[in-house]
Parts: sequence; C-alpha cells; structure tokens
Amino acid sequence: MSVFHQMGHHSNNLIDLPEMSSYAGAIFSPINCTEAEATEQIAEVRSSKKTFEIIFDPQLYVPSSERGKLKKWTYFPKDVDTADPTSKAWWTDLNKKLAAACQRLKVDAVCSPLTIPKVFDDEYYLNCVRVGTELSKSLKDRKIGVLQTVLVSLAELTAERRVPEIASIVSKTDADRVYLVFVGSTAPRRELSDVDELAGAMRLINTFERNDMRVLVGFCSSDILLWKAAGASSCASGKFFNLRRFTRQRFEEPSEGGGQLPYWFEENLLAFLRQGDLLRVQRVGLLSDASQRNPFGKEILLKLKTDPWLANSWRQFLYWFADVEGRLTRGESAAETLMKNADANWAKLDKEKIYMEERENNGTWIRSWLNTLREYEKR
Amino acid sequence: MRMEEDDLEQIARKICTKRQLRFLQRVGEGAFKQTFQVVGPAAVPLALKVYKSAGSNKRDHREINAMLRCQHRNIAQIISVETYSYQGRKYTAITEEFLSGGTLTQKGQISAAQCLEIGIQLIEGLAHIAGLNLVHRDIKPDNIMFRSDASTPVITDFGLVRDLSDSSMTPTWASRGPGTPFFAAPEQLNNEKDMIDWRTDQFSLGVTLSYVTLGDHPYRSAGISDREVVDRVSSRDEVCSWFIQRASSLGLGSLSRMLAPWSVDRYRKPELLQNAWRQQKG
Repeated sequence: MSVFHQMGHHSNNLIDLPEMSSYAGAIFSPINCTEAEATEQIAEVRSSKKTFEIIFDPQLYVPSSERGKLKKWTYFPKDVDTADPTSKAWWTDLNKKLAAACQRLKVDAVCSPLTIPKVFDDEYYLNCVRVGTELSKSLKDRKIGVLQTVLVSLAELTAERRVPEIASIVSKTDADRVYLVFVGSTAPRRELSDVDELAGAMRLINTFERNDMRVLVGFCSSDILLWKAAGASSCASGKFFNLRRFTRQRFEEPSEGGGQLPYWFEENLLAFLRQGDLLRVQRVGLLSDASQRNPFGKEILLKLKTDPWLANSWRQFLYWFADVEGRLTRGESAAETLMKNADANWAKLDKEKIYMEERENNGTWIRSWLNTLREYEKR
Repeated sequence: MRMEEDDLEQIARKICTKRQLRFLQRVGEGAFKQTFQVVGPAAVPLALKVYKSAGSNKRDHREINAMLRCQHRNIAQIISVETYSYQGRKYTAITEEFLSGGTLTQKGQISAAQCLEIGIQLIEGLAHIAGLNLVHRDIKPDNIMFRSDASTPVITDFGLVRDLSDSSMTPTWASRGPGTPFFAAPEQLNNEKDMIDWRTDQFSLGVTLSYVTLGDHPYRSAGISDREVVDRVSSRDEVCSWFIQRASSLGLGSLSRMLAPWSVDRYRKPELLQNAWRQQKG
C-alpha cells in the first residue's frame, strides 16, 4: 500500500521535501529531461533516499506526438511514422534499447512500453502482454523489475464481461505488477463521473488484486478514493494531473502549457478550489481537518493574499494525496465516509448560496462516486 | 479406411523387423495414428506409434517436437523418431516408453487421498509443459496413463499441443477450438485464442480430477445431459454448489479455483497451484 509521485515538469524538487517522505517512490518520465539529465537526477535521489523505488515510464503512448525531449532518448524508435506497431520485431528492438537505457539510468523498475491504440481489442491486450513479458524476461537477471503497463478505455468497461476478459488476457503476463492507466474522454479540470465506467474500473482493479497481481494506478487524482476502495496496492499522481486528464488529446497538445493557476484541494468537498473559492469556503468554516493539518496548506493560508502560491498548491495536493492514502490503508478513513461528508458539505454551500468560480465545479460527481461504490459492491 | 489401418500395422511390423523389435499387438488408434505394443532389446516394453501418411502434417510435427522438448517423469518420453518409406509414401513413427499401468479412466473412481497424490504429480507435469510455453489442450482421463508401478501418472497424447510462441492453427472463425469438449475450458470451447494458456490445461485437469474422484462433472446441475454441461461451461456459468461443498469436505478445495470460468480467477502461475495443492495435501 503506497503512493508514487508521477514526475512532471520541474517536479523533481518536490519529492525531496521531508513532508513528502510517505511517498514510496517516483515514476520518472523522459519528457522533461534528456537521458543524461535523468541519470543525474536519479543518482541524486538515490543518494538521499535509500528505500525510494524509482520506476521509469517510457511514455510512448503517442510516439508521433511532440513530447518534450522524448525523441532524444536512445530507445525512442527512429521509424515511428512508418513502423507497424503489430510487428513483434519492432517491439523486440524497442525493448532491447529500453532495457539498456534502464540499466544506464539505474532504475528499480520500468513500465512496459505501450502506445494508445485506436481499438482496445483482445489482440491489443495480448500484444501488451507479449511486450511486457519479453521485457520482463530480458531484465530478469539485471535486478530491474517490470510493471505490466495496461491502458484501458474506461468506456469499454461498461460491458460486464469485458472486465474478466481483459483481466484474463493481461494476467498471462510474467510480471507480477500492473501499471494500470485508464483512458477516457473527460475534459480538463473535470472529474471522472460515469458510474458504469468507474464501477468497471474498480472491478478490474479488484480482479487483478485478488488474483496475485499488485496494481499501481497511474495518473490519479482525487479518484484515488475509488481505486483504494477497490483494493489497489498503489496509486500515483502528478502535481497537476486533475487539470490534464489521460486522453489521446492530451498528447496532441503542447506538453508545457502556460497560464497555470494555483488550486487548493479540499477534502471536505473533494474538489479543487481557486483562490476566491478557497476564501469563501474558509469563511463558512468548511476547511477540513486534513487541510488544516497539511503543512503546505498552512503556508498557503498564511500568505494567501500576499504571495503567489502555485508551487505550494502542488505540494498541498501531493501531501493530501499521500496523507489520504495512508489513512485509507490504515482504516482511519473510509472512502464512502469522505464522499458522504463532501456531499453534505456541497449541500451546505448550496444552502449558503456559495458557488464556485467554475460553473461545473459543483460537487455533482460525488453522487456519481457514491453510486459507483453501490454498483461495485452489488457485483 | 480399412486398407490404411492394415497398412499401418504392416508398416509397424516392418519397422519391428528392421529394428529387431518384437511386435505384440495394436493397443490404440487415433484420428491420425495407431499405437502398437512392441518389445525392445532386453525385453523392454515399448509403444510404437505410426502416423498415417495422409495425416502427416504440421500437427504431427508439433506433437513430436513438443514431446521431445518435455523431459519430466510425469510426461510420456519419446525414445526415437524415424521416417519410413513404404510403397512410395512416407510415414513418421515414434517409439515411446510403454505405459503398462493403464489409463486414469480404467482406474474408475479414486479416493480423495489418491486424487491428492496423483494431482500433485500431474500439476508438476503441467508446470513443466507451461514452462516450455506449451499448452496440451487435451488433458482428460484417457490421456493420463500410469507406469507399471500403477502410481506414477504420465501425461500422454500431445496431438493438440499448441506452442504459444507460434501462431495458432485454429482459424478465428471457428466457433470451437480443438479439444475434448467435456473436459475443455470455456476459452477453448469458445475458441477465444487470446485467452488460451497453461490455465486452460489447469481447468481440464480440474475437471479430470473432479470427475474421477467425485464421479461427475463439476458443472453438472441436476438432471442435465453431457451436452448441457458443456453449454454451461462455455457460457461461463458458475461451478455447481454441490461440487464446491463436496470438494471442500474432502479437502480438495483447490479444485474449485482451478475450475473458475475465467482464467484470471484460476491459479495464475504453476507454482501457486503447486503450493496450494501441497498445502491441501498436508
């Protein structure tokens, strides 16, 4: 039971903070640095954090897209535009180069490479397993673990049989850990809220976990509550993932967007708040104990009106992410209780006629999450 | 057809003469081959299998190659492989150890203690097959034979073996994959090729052991025919509650997991099944 930090742009300095010590590791990405820079960063992290698990995600989800420094990496295929992604030889060559890069980086584990497919059919999942198993075999003697990456379209999980079908194919892999990434079409800054999709996603996590496969759910946000309720061993989040959902479009946009606004994550509402929202919520006494305990939250509140707080907003969310995971794992908090509490608080805000700056930031997804828990438990 | 059968016996006799083996009798016949009992030097009993020339195809080669790769006490051992020409046609013949202890079918109903003992050995055999990336696809009581000690079970007949590293020979349009339906797993019955792996054999072994120990198929609900049993398996109904209770009361609870309708819910790796079976055995 653990949390991982999904490394993003300029986020390597976040994991060194003593307040982030409950992070079990980080998932390094090739997007924002070259291989040499990453090797240096990893060595630095290693020197200060002996038990920290360093995982590498090769990020080949849409290889033809413009993704920072990815194309400069030695494993990046030169023929992405003309390659046949169903060719075994193509993946074998890629795996070989990736394995060598991982050795140079000195990582503990690597997520098997994958691209986002047009169609998520059985043949696609079988290919994921082939690639993952091959990489696993080639790294077995090099003390580098392999996580079987699986990209799953949330939409297909609404069909009841699809969950055991996918799980039956994916569980053929040699790897004992699954790096599970849900692909959807949710717009930036919106929460996942389709009950059938989310219940299917929870069932998939639970199916893996109860069958001896540990799941690390990648690219999480506050939906960690659902994944933990389904029994996920680990969850990973980036500093601002909630703003850029895992969709195909995400990879077709520039990876370094400007205009970032600071957001406060509020457990009492299970929502991200802008500065004006935060002040209004604070005024009616609805900030949670978790927020008030949060060291970065405290700093933000002290200087809210005078100092910029973008960097602290990342830390405030990441601290909450690890904190809530710990409480859920230890049984000190329950996902359902947190959701019911948030739902009640949104009702209070309604009563007080307090509205968030973004029209759709209205807490409606929490009812969907509560229904998701019901649906999941029913089956 | 009759003509060809006679031919195979004649070929077997000629092979015996050439190799100084003593021909005894025909002991088995499949769609593509016949098996004869012969005696080798130093009076060692052997099985001589002669493949029909018309049926000599990729499937035979797969069977022979798979058996040559397997080296395990619970898997039938090939001693030699040869090709004979007779009247302008080529025949493949293999010599195997002769398993004189009969088949699991011939043993009739066995006790829970025998099931545990036979089961652990067969699981070891399956683990070996799985380690070679092979799936037998026809585990059933008729294909489990015993050595002369009558207690060492041996997996035989690799006629439907599939090497997962190769492309499949069964076309996707086929509604059902090859195998003996009564003992087959849902993914095999439904020709879900992407789901076939060693867990497919695990399911068939589960049915086999259940059948010989409890006297019936674990998916048979009251009063239904064999065909309806197969339909229940292929539509992924649940294992019957009578079976779960009886297997559990006999200390054979692991069988229920081996028989899960979806392969993800079975034992994922051979060593996990081996451990579960050992714990059960005590």
